[in-house]
Amino acid sequence: MSSSSIATPGAETSPDAGGAFSFRVSEDPIDVPAEQATLGDPGAGGYVAFEGWVRETNEGRRVVRLAYEAYPMLANREGRRIIEEARQRFGLKSASCIHRTGLLEIGGLAVWVGVSAAHRGEAFAACRYIIDEVKHRVPVWKQEFYEDGDSGWVNCERCAAAAGPSHGNATSTAANASHGHTHAHSHGHAHDHAHDHDHDHGHGHGHAQPAAVTDAPVPSRLPDYARQMALPEVGAAGQAKLGAAKVLVIGCGGLGVPVATYLAGAGIGSLTLVDPDVLEATNLHRQIAYAAADCGQAKVLLLAARLRALNPSIGLHTHAEAADAALLDALVPRHDVVVDCTDRLSVKFAVNDAAVRHGIPAVLASVHQYEGQVQVVRPGGSCLRCVWPQAPRDGVVGNCAEAGVLGPVPGLVGTWQAFEVLRLLLGLEAPREGVLTVDLLAGQTRFLRAPRAADCPEHALKHSVAPGAPLELPSLAEGLARGLCVVDVRDATEAAANPLPVAHHHLPMATLLKDLKQLPATENGWLFVCVRGIRSRSVAEACREAGHAAAYSLSGGAPH
Amino acid sequence: MSQTYTLQYFAVLREQARCREEQVTTTATTPDELYAEVRARHGFTLEANFLRVAVNDEFADWNVPLRDGDHIVFIPPVAGG
Repeated sequence: MSSSSIATPGAETSPDAGGAFSFRVSEDPIDVPAEQATLGDPGAGGYVAFEGWVRETNEGRRVVRLAYEAYPMLANREGRRIIEEARQRFGLKSASCIHRTGLLEIGGLAVWVGVSAAHRGEAFAACRYIIDEVKHRVPVWKQEFYEDGDSGWVNCERCAAAAGPSHGNATSTAANASHGHTHAHSHGHAHDHAHDHDHDHGHGHGHAQPAAVTDAPVPSRLPDYARQMALPEVGAAGQAKLGAAKVLVIGCGGLGVPVATYLAGAGIGSLTLVDPDVLEATNLHRQIAYAAADCGQAKVLLLAARLRALNPSIGLHTHAEAADAALLDALVPRHDVVVDCTDRLSVKFAVNDAAVRHGIPAVLASVHQYEGQVQVVRPGGSCLRCVWPQAPRDGVVGNCAEAGVLGPVPGLVGTWQAFEVLRLLLGLEAPREGVLTVDLLAGQTRFLRAPRAADCPEHALKHSVAPGAPLELPSLAEGLARGLCVVDVRDATEAAANPLPVAHHHLPMATLLKDLKQLPATENGWLFVCVRGIRSRSVAEACREAGHAAAYSLSGGAPH
Repeated sequence: MSQTYTLQYFAVLREQARCREEQVTTTATTPDELYAEVRARHGFTLEANFLRVAVNDEFADWNVPLRDGDHIVFIPPVAGG
C-alpha cells in the first residue's frame, strides 16, 4: 500500500496507556482465556468481547473452509492504529484484537476483540468500533473454498465503505452514522459480505485516511468512462463488455504495472494479479506504480492497493505465488484474457500452453534492452510455440537484470499489451497473427507474420490432456490403451538385453534430450521406458517442461 | 552467383553484431547458410535453433530459397519484463 507510509499522528500505542493494548495477526489458534486474562485492570468495571466465526455461506454459495492471508507488517501497523484510536476515543483500560491467518474450518474463531473500560457503555462501543474498523481497514485477504471446489479471494471488507450506498447493501447501522461515514456492509458477524468475490469493490484509502479518526466523509467517487465511451467502437455496449470482463495478469513488474493500471482505469470488471515477488529498489525505475517506501512488501498487494485507489469499483484478486502449470490451470479458465508480463521464458511458455489448452486468448510480451516483442494468441490461431517450437531454457536470452533496460521500454510494451487486451474484449479490428517488434532506439516497429504452424506440438497435443495428469503409468498396457507412442530411452546395449515386447521407437535419453524435435510424431503422446523408470521419468519431465503435456514414464522400467 | 539481402538483427544479435541492419552480398541462398555466414563473422553465440528467421516480414523455414533483395530478420525470443 503506497499510502501506508503516511503517518497518522498519535497512532502508535502509548507506553503510558495503563493496561494492555495490542493487535496482532496470528497463524495459531486464539487462546481466548489467555487473551482475556491480559485485559484485567483494577480500574475496569466491565469487559466486552467479540468473536467472529467462519460462516458456511456467502452470497448463497456454500463455503467449506477459509484461508486468511495477511501482510503482517501492514496488518499489524493498521491494527495497532485502530486499537490506539479506540483507546483515545473511549478512554479504555485495555484493548486487544487478534486476527487469524491460515486455514480455518466452518465455526472456527477468525477474529477476537476484547476491551475493558470503567463502564459498560464505553466497553460495548469500543468493541464495536474495533471490529468494524478492523474488518474495514486491516489488509487481510480471505480465500473462500466453496462446496463446488471453486475458490475466490475476498478483500476483507475495507472496501465497501468507499463505494458507499450505491454499491453496498442496505444494512448500514447506527454505529456507521456515529463516525461519519457509511459502511455498506453489515457488522454483526466477521464474515458478512456486501458482495461476492467477483464484485469485490476495493478501496485503498484505509491507511492514509482513517476516516473514523478524522470524521471526514469518505469520498465515494468512481471513474467516469465518458472519454472512452465517446469512441463509436466503445459506447455503452463496449463499456458493459469491459465491466463484465475478467483479466488475469501474470507478473506485476515493468510490463504488469502499465497493463494492470490501464485495465483498472478502463473499468475491467475483475483483475487477478499473480506475482511471487516483493518490491525491490531496482524495480522502481520502471515499475512506477510503486513507492520507494514499500520495498520489501508483496507486489501483488501493493499493486492491488494502487488499483483500488484508482478504481474502487473493480474486483481484485491476488496470488502472491509463482505461476506454475497447476495455478494457471486453475485460473486461466476463469478469465476472459490472460496477460503474460513475466520475465521468464518458462513462464511465458506455461502461460501460452494454458491459454491454448483452455481456449482463452493470451497477450504475451517481453522486452530486451531497447526492444520489445508482443504476441496475441487467440484460440485456434498461432501461438508462442508456433513461432518458437523449441523453447530456449531460461537464461539463454537474458532478462532485465542481466541485459539492462530503460524504464519506458516495458512501459511502452506493457501499454501496448493493455491495448491488445482492450482490443480483444471490445472486439475491435482483429489483431494480426504474429509478433510485433518494437525498437525504441531505432524508433521502429515491425510486424512479423506467423501463421499457425501445422506441426505445432502445443496445438497437436494439449487439448487431449487433462491438466496435472500423473507423470507415471503402471504398465505398458495402460500406455497402449491410451494410444501412446512407446519410446525406449535405454542405450542400445540395455535395449538389446531386454527388448520391449511391444512396438516402439528407440531413442536413447542422451540423444533425445539434445533435441526434442526428434520425438516421433504421435496423436496422443509418448510413454518413455528405461531400465528402472528413473531416466524415463526425467525424459517425461523434460518433455512436459518443454510443453509436451502428454509425456509419461513407465513406472519401474521395462518388464522383465 | 551472389545475391544481396538486407539483414536486420534483434536483441542479443543486435548487441553482438553492433548494428541493427546491414546489407550483405553473398552466395548463400537459404537463411540457414546466411546465418552460418554472419554468425561466423559477428561471433553470434546463439545457435540457429534458438532463433527464428523472417523473410519479407513473415516467419519462414531455414531452408527456403532466398531471392535477391529479400529483407531478412534474425530474431531470438526475449524474456525481460
